[in-house]
Amino acid sequence: MKRALALGLTFAGVALAAHVGTILVAPHALMTLAMRKLSQGDGKVNTFQFARRTTAQSRAIVRPSPDLAYASCVYDLAQGPLLVSAAPTPGGGYASISVFAANTDNIGVFDTIAHPQGIRFVLARAGEPLPDKATRLALPVVLSPSRKGAILDRRLAPTTEAFALAEKARRADSCAPLR
Amino acid sequence: MAALGLVAGTGSALWTMKQGLGREVHAGWSGSKVTGSVDADPWTRAQVALTGLLALNRQQAIYFSRRTDDAGQPLREDCRYRVEGATLPARWWSVTVYAADDYLPLNDDDALSFDATEVRRDAKGRWAATVAAQRPASGAWASSRNAGAVDLTLRLYNPTPAAQADFAAIAFPRVVRIGCGKGDAA
Repeated sequence: MKRALALGLTFAGVALAAHVGTILVAPHALMTLAMRKLSQGDGKVNTFQFARRTTAQSRAIVRPSPDLAYASCVYDLAQGPLLVSAAPTPGGGYASISVFAANTDNIGVFDTIAHPQGIRFVLARAGEPLPDKATRLALPVVLSPSRKGAILDRRLAPTTEAFALAEKARRADSCAPLR
Repeated sequence: MAALGLVAGTGSALWTMKQGLGREVHAGWSGSKVTGSVDADPWTRAQVALTGLLALNRQQAIYFSRRTDDAGQPLREDCRYRVEGATLPARWWSVTVYAADDYLPLNDDDALSFDATEVRRDAKGRWAATVAAQRPASGAWASSRNAGAVDLTLRLYNPTPAAQADFAAIAFPRVVRIGCGKGDAA
């Protein structure tokens, strides 16, 4: 009887720990994999990469939208804050820049509806002092709880023509260190 | 017994991530108010990481998905469906077909989704589109060819504050099975 109880408790304890552990670790693990893909193997950080038009073969991120043009910047704040900017798409098509921390949380988002002239903000590590330049720029500041994360540029591009416009505009995207 | 517990615990976590507990379901469409936000609980965060990584928060977009039709039957590649609705409370919307692996179905139909600009509305603003493996004679179409078990995702971009606050207030599109199999008339 005691042995059965001990086995039952062992099963329940290990199952609970495995369940909670998987739930807590999975977002970080999946985000790390995604960032590796987006940065082409950790090589390209703090610079935007431009995805081709989404097709049935697109496999970088689950559930890609075939109606959007994507660009991404894997960030690393080890050397200090970044200045992030994106121009609007000519013709006024929706564009947004969203920032994701390493645990997948969407910690900041800007769109061209609220910022029709273009998007500019500073991305800095939470808990670290902002350099004077960041303060002088008087731009919105997004604070990241993690050193690494990802920035995603989404532009409405449901047709070939719309994608061409979005493609031209997104080439001006920047996520460079603040100097 | 510890090994069994490990398998059971990990398996239940993966099942939860795939199925998405704690989501709201309205008219067959399932969505979460905390997708992408910093308010997401660990289970929602894990579920989004697996099935919708880098999703926007609800001020920018609300995502709903479904795997069954209005009769509760699983959506299948070999069946044709009419998706019909009214004006949706968003600046722009789209309906996309995904395969069971959460990626787009591997076909070359160039019809992975239909959106607000493609559907034709009647005088009352109502519209209809088709989800099927074959192109319909007319109207907006999303191809389910090679999807197997079909998953539909509805994206509402820049949803109205009312839609963000109360998903139940959204007039969701219906998904009605027209027929199944090759002999089914269009």
